[in-house]
Amino acid sequence: MATRAQFENSNEVGVFSKLTNSYCLVALGGSENFYSAFEAELGDVIPVVHTTIAGTKIIGRMVAGNRRGLLVPSQTTDQELMHLRNSLPDSVKIQRVEERLSALGNVICCNDYVALVHPDIERETEEIIADTLGVEVFRQTIAGNVLVGSYCCISNQGGLVHPQTPIQDQEELSSLLQVPLVAGTVNRGSPVIGAGMVVNDWLSVTGLATTAPELSVIESIFKLQDAQPDAISGSLRDTLIETYS
Amino acid sequence: MRIHSCHFCSSPIYPGHGITFVRNDGKVFRFCRSKCHKAFKQRRNPRKLKWTKAFRKSAGKELAVDSTLTFAKRRNVPVRYNRNLVKTTLNAMQRIEQIRRRRERAFYKNRMKGNRERQFALDKKLVEENPELLRMRDVEQKDKQLKEQAKEDQEMESAEENDESEMETTDEEQEEEKLAAKILLKNKRKTRVKF
Repeated sequence: MATRAQFENSNEVGVFSKLTNSYCLVALGGSENFYSAFEAELGDVIPVVHTTIAGTKIIGRMVAGNRRGLLVPSQTTDQELMHLRNSLPDSVKIQRVEERLSALGNVICCNDYVALVHPDIERETEEIIADTLGVEVFRQTIAGNVLVGSYCCISNQGGLVHPQTPIQDQEELSSLLQVPLVAGTVNRGSPVIGAGMVVNDWLSVTGLATTAPELSVIESIFKLQDAQPDAISGSLRDTLIETYS
Repeated sequence: MRIHSCHFCSSPIYPGHGITFVRNDGKVFRFCRSKCHKAFKQRRNPRKLKWTKAFRKSAGKELAVDSTLTFAKRRNVPVRYNRNLVKTTLNAMQRIEQIRRRRERAFYKNRMKGNRERQFALDKKLVEENPELLRMRDVEQKDKQLKEQAKEDQEMESAEENDESEMETTDEEQEEEKLAAKILLKNKRKTRVKF
């Protein structure tokens, strides 16, 4: 399923939520509409949890996680940490990370097997990522951007990267991640993929401004409707590049 | 809500108190009051100021290395809520506090042990070096005798006032001379020191 949603008139749903295969975190907002969008899709499958991180709503940019674990930044209060521990299943490890680059969502991008991280991240943090999330860690940039978490979005099925990523880089990343990648946009041409959408193995939520072609690229690369990724790399992708270049 | 401890003096900071400084590299410094904040801004070393906990610990005035002090620390991995666990933890906290206090008292006693003997020895030495201190009683008695004598003399001499007045004047003159000599001496010393 690919759905569109909006958080308090903002299309950047990836900022205000975090979706993985075993849990979903949603920011504590004024209205429950955003929460309901997730609850409708995930209600009986995985826990959907309201939370703040360090008292802020921008949880999607502050945390990093996958099926096995969740990393939260050092500013996270003890109460928030307790709340997360009590709401998430026991199989999910939670760890607070003492890292200078505290917006972990922006500097870490991961699926259940591999993580791409900011080149300047500390060595201890790298180890914690590997231990807690059970992933292989690679220091990478995406289209010259160090904020890998902002400019790409990956699941176990596929990945979407910044629209200006060169083909060589895409191939390199693809071989690291062992999933097909495609360059694309969300929210009517926004290159900030990580902030514009959230995805797991069977659901993606994007901003309300996302166009139908963008959505179809997302559905096919993340295999959300049994679509063939070959289709995009052929005809559809050409049209997209034409439209947005 | 968390009760942090002051970066400078290690006293607890309750909500609504103190000031926080976040350095460029993201490290957070919390101060309990402006005194600590100012000292920090002047780049004072808390280990060198006697009123801080850091000094007391580094100078061996307080318990610094102990297993009871290792329990209170920031933990990065949370534990799921469990009523029994909380109950045992609360009990353990009390117990640990008791043990800590006892150890602290023992440490203090141990640190103060031998002070009495040391002080006694010092006093003894002082008296040996200044033996006149011991004959205080003799001195007092002498003073008393002198005073009594002076009184008797006054009574005796009350009749012969004229003579006494003359005597006094001579005495005063002598004293003035003495004073002048002293001042001269002092001046000489000063000049010596100056050159």
